Amino acid sequence: MPVAYTTFPAYSRTKPKPSVQPAALEGKPVAEALISSEADIRTGLADNLLRLWRYGLVLSHRRDIADDLVQQTCVRALERVEQFETGTRLDRWLFSILHSIWLNEIRSQRVRLGQGFVDAGEALVVDGARDTETRVMANQVLRLVNALPDAQRAAVFLAYVEGLSYKEVASVLDIPIGTVMSRLAAARAKIAASVSGEGAT
Amino acid sequence: MNDKNQIPSDEELTAYIDGELSDTEVSRIEALLGSNERAAARLQFLSLSGLPFQQAFEPLLAAAPKATLDAMVDVAPADVKPAPARSSRRGFLGALAACLVAGIVADRAFIGIRNRVHAPDEGSEWRAVVAEYIALYTTDTVAGPSPSGEAQIAQLARLNDKLGLSLSPEALALSGIEFKRAQLLQYDEKPLAQIAYLDPETGPLALCIVRSDVGMKEPDVEGRHGMNVVYWSNATHAFMLIGRIPIDRMQEFAEDVRRRV
Repeated sequence: MPVAYTTFPAYSRTKPKPSVQPAALEGKPVAEALISSEADIRTGLADNLLRLWRYGLVLSHRRDIADDLVQQTCVRALERVEQFETGTRLDRWLFSILHSIWLNEIRSQRVRLGQGFVDAGEALVVDGARDTETRVMANQVLRLVNALPDAQRAAVFLAYVEGLSYKEVASVLDIPIGTVMSRLAAARAKIAASVSGEGAT
Repeated sequence: MNDKNQIPSDEELTAYIDGELSDTEVSRIEALLGSNERAAARLQFLSLSGLPFQQAFEPLLAAAPKATLDAMVDVAPADVKPAPARSSRRGFLGALAACLVAGIVADRAFIGIRNRVHAPDEGSEWRAVVAEYIALYTTDTVAGPSPSGEAQIAQLARLNDKLGLSLSPEALALSGIEFKRAQLLQYDEKPLAQIAYLDPETGPLALCIVRSDVGMKEPDVEGRHGMNVVYWSNATHAFMLIGRIPIDRMQEFAEDVRRRV
């Protein structure tokens, strides 16, 4: 039963999930399904590397850690090919892997060089030869988002930059939808207060 | 929400702005907005946060190190399970070495430690984490010339300042072993002093110090990641000396340091 998952249809409820029992791994059909799926995961990773890195940067404020997060996400995703539910969005799955690595392995208890995070404003500043007005606007938005507490920042990024639905944000962050709502509401209130306080429009 | 005068919560208004409410809820909110000035004002206020997020973050995609990331997909092994750090998986180890340079602990799964979400056991948790970190050190990690006495003092001053210590090059000197550097690391966002040495025979050795209120504790020994650890604490700090030097010699070093620090 070779299955070539070359696309990831939005919904496919009838498609059976690959079995993950260790005993079944010897079985030929499952093995073949895994192999073809792995190629797709690799392709999916390649297509989403920049977005994953950006999410890593938003979470960590550090380019080196963003690199590391992407690296570990690649390894983890390829190790867990069989856990990917075909029919769901691969990018969301990768985001959730990256987020969990960040939360459980890097942010929570890591030994690292002691200079700490660089200033958020510095970490994500956009430079280059783009037109000045755009850059100023972009940096102002980045500054406001980066000033948010970690949990709110991640929710804002996923919902408003990556365009995930509340349900998807909840899934990536592994929190209830109600928590997503309260984080986004708090973030909006904070950003609105900053914007109105600055007299900007 | 039977009270007509009750204004919707920020959560509801945010979900309304984001188009995440059901039709029924939308009707209810819109009725409230039409009849309640405070609700309308609050909505207007929250709407100020409607910034061009996507455009603002778009240039960060171009800032990503694309070539480096592309290489990760090719390198990442799908069929190789996590292995000890000193296996011969050069590609992955190369990346690991890069992580080390950046002061990053390697993949937890790689090292075989499971995620810990509970509060750490005050006594041993930090040693486990530090040991994982040090386990990845090679002679190259601490290669390079030893700092001058002045440079050592300057490096130690930073540690002393952050951790409330009074370390001096003399107090930290170990006979026959080269002092390589003193640097400030972070452990769980708290300062961690690390003094790295190089033993010509067994490789890197490190003395690590964190603030601790566990109280006085006589030196004890343990093995972690194939290394020997001697640990102790005084009234204000916890110490661990870790390396691949035989345990009896490690204990002597620890005793020397303990007397002088």
